[in-house]
Amino acid sequence: MAAVTRRYHALFIVLALAVVAASVVTAVHAADTPRRGGILLAVIGADPPSLDPHQESTFATMQLVAPLYSTLIQIDPYSYPKIIGDVASEWKISPDALTYTFKIRPGIKFHDGSPLTAADVKATYDKLIFPPKETRSVRKGAYLAVASIDAPDASTVVFKLKHPSASLLENVASPWNVIYPKKYLDKDPNYFMKNVVGSGPFKFKSYTPGASFEGERNPDYFVKDRPYLNGYKFFISTETSVRAAAVRSGRAYIEFRDLPSAEVDAIKKQLGDKVVVQHTPMTGQFGIAINNTVKPFTDERVRKALTLGLDRYTGGRVLFGLTGLKDVGGLLRPGTEFAMLEADLQKLPGFGKDMEKNRAEAKKLLAEAGYPHGFKVVLKNRNVKLPYQDFAVFAIQEWRKIGIEAEHRPLETAAWFADGRDSGNFELIIAPTVEASDDPDVFLRRYTTGDTQNWGRFTDPVVDDLFSRQSRALDAAERRKVILQLQKTVLEHAYYMPGLWWSRNVVHWAKVKNYVAPPNHYANQKLQDVWLSED
Amino acid sequence: MGTYITKRLLLIVPTLIGAAALVFVIMRVIPGDVALLIFGGDQAGQIDPKQLADMRHRLGLDQPLIVQFGTWLWGVLRFDFGNSLWTGRPVIEELLIRLPLSLELAIAATIVSVLIAIPLGMLAAIRQDTWVDYLVRVVSIGGLAIPSFWVGILCILMLVIFFGWGPPLEFTPPWIDPWANFQMMIWPVVTVGYRYAAVTTRMTRSTLLEVLREDYIRTAWAKGLRERAVVIRHALKNSMLPVITLVGTEFAFLIGGLVVTETVFTLNGVGRFVVDAVAHRDYPVVQALIFLIAFGFVVVNLLVDLTYAWFDPRIRYR
Repeated sequence: MAAVTRRYHALFIVLALAVVAASVVTAVHAADTPRRGGILLAVIGADPPSLDPHQESTFATMQLVAPLYSTLIQIDPYSYPKIIGDVASEWKISPDALTYTFKIRPGIKFHDGSPLTAADVKATYDKLIFPPKETRSVRKGAYLAVASIDAPDASTVVFKLKHPSASLLENVASPWNVIYPKKYLDKDPNYFMKNVVGSGPFKFKSYTPGASFEGERNPDYFVKDRPYLNGYKFFISTETSVRAAAVRSGRAYIEFRDLPSAEVDAIKKQLGDKVVVQHTPMTGQFGIAINNTVKPFTDERVRKALTLGLDRYTGGRVLFGLTGLKDVGGLLRPGTEFAMLEADLQKLPGFGKDMEKNRAEAKKLLAEAGYPHGFKVVLKNRNVKLPYQDFAVFAIQEWRKIGIEAEHRPLETAAWFADGRDSGNFELIIAPTVEASDDPDVFLRRYTTGDTQNWGRFTDPVVDDLFSRQSRALDAAERRKVILQLQKTVLEHAYYMPGLWWSRNVVHWAKVKNYVAPPNHYANQKLQDVWLSED
Repeated sequence: MGTYITKRLLLIVPTLIGAAALVFVIMRVIPGDVALLIFGGDQAGQIDPKQLADMRHRLGLDQPLIVQFGTWLWGVLRFDFGNSLWTGRPVIEELLIRLPLSLELAIAATIVSVLIAIPLGMLAAIRQDTWVDYLVRVVSIGGLAIPSFWVGILCILMLVIFFGWGPPLEFTPPWIDPWANFQMMIWPVVTVGYRYAAVTTRMTRSTLLEVLREDYIRTAWAKGLRERAVVIRHALKNSMLPVITLVGTEFAFLIGGLVVTETVFTLNGVGRFVVDAVAHRDYPVVQALIFLIAFGFVVVNLLVDLTYAWFDPRIRYR
């Protein structure tokens, strides 16, 4: 009898466990089953200067309009930096790497009902690469290898190159290259600065400058059953604490760019599991441009002393909580395909971990250069606290340890551009590098002679040659070798002083599902797969 | 009176042209221009100097300064303030998006400040050197000393932390949804109203104290008039002239001067618009807004001056 009872008990327990397991599986399945409907509410820290991503370079434009458009190819939202198709279903590259042929999916419609064809893609890329005089293309420098674009039929686009370009696909996959209908471009190449006619998962609904931007579901979107959301709405607020409070109070569900760790901790503490924090590295680095054309920085020993005097490793620990500045790296993001290995980096001036030794070496170099007691210098900066000013304050106190007295001079953004990038009216200036991908062409062009982003105004034919070679090198191993040599050359001569690589916190309510924060605040903003588990 | 008003109205013209010319020059003297900023963004981009020159040409920034100023002034005479160099939209269109909010905030905050300040100032003056007076002085000095943006942030944080609730993030006009409008506007109105009530309370108190020491008030007391009659009928009206001036200029300032409060409460008002326009070197917007704000100041000042005659019949305009 007892054995029978035990058997029943065992059976009961097994059944109970099975029921529990089944309900857990069902619950998990239910939780993972995308739910349709709802409006995604977000906050954003700036107003867009215009709505045309071809002409802008700010997240304020990109985040608002990305859901309204398609691109030819794109970075996989779930597997950065893998490239997948968007309106292009497939593509092939000729054996000599001089012809790229893209096939356009059939049946794609713009929001005005007109079909999206190869002619629209050609018109879009003509505007991007060979912009008419009355418009501008901020990133046309990334397509110098392109000779022409053809549309031999309605579903085929062909890019013909002057020489091989290792970065072409990465640059074509840029989220900025949204496709416009040709007929509007023909009338006015600046039409899309104020208007939106895309083919993306959402249609434009409304925009109140300085206040909000709204999109609504596109029922004719070419990806079946997408998007899940009925719409999205951004509230614009330039005040960080207000954006954090908006997320905290549930007025907004997500801030896509970045919130300081202190705010994130407060949100997490109050809301617990109701919110999710995605901490990601960033395709951006904060460093210092050294004006190589003014004394004493014409002397390599002085430049080396400056970089030797900066304790980047302590900086990463101290500044991370305040600013998100975290990783020590070279000219490309640590851990990425073409980045320097830590062991190699540590052999370069300013990257060794023994700071006593670095500082002694810096003082010795300064003495040799004729500055045994250091010197005074002005460090110009942008008057933006995070992370510009915190980083500058850290650098200044580090340099004091080797006898260099730097005066911190924050400037308004316009003056910072005018003095730094455009006129070279500086000795030292905080010069960040933030891009939409880790592509070496995009990141390294600024170290070549005469490039508009070469704030330090240095010239080194070796660097120019290495840049040109890496750009054309189709073999990844060969390209890596050249890129490492380029980075080593720039860092050994201390033409530019990398500081720390940025990271960011994307905070969102747990009910926002299927959003994976990429390593920058430009990519993965289409929201086509995002859904809300509740309103 | 008619001559006085005509003179004052005519004086508005050189005042406004002077203000416009000053702003025009200042905006050109400070480094940087809108073309640079348009290319700048937070990604810095890769700018072609030729494209930069083209952009400056497109925006008309390569013309001589006198031509730029003349063109702008000619437009103003025709009520055409031009287009924003930053967004390309007409300045008036941009302004009209923001003006209702700024007007509502300015009017409501002025009403709140007057409703708080005049009774409190009177009370403090009548009960001078009692605990009531001390309390009013502490509250008003607090209002002057504490920055209103800090009070604003504190308001928001307390609401969020203690009630898990935050004010709406978008302005809804009162004629569309009065409740949503109230939920959003009450906090900035109280924050700004408190700040300006503090100033007005102190002014009311001190001017009323001065009047209460006049001989004719002593006579009124000697006649055996009740306190209410002495204070309200005889003293208050005569002490109001400086208070009216203050309230008038405050109101004019509130329309364009609440930058920080507008930022804290995500109010898309005129103040924020001016500051953003300066940061973007958006010359037509800055010039138009300063011109219109100056116009507002001049008109409010004129109205204040005209109100004097009603409060003090001894004042005659010649």
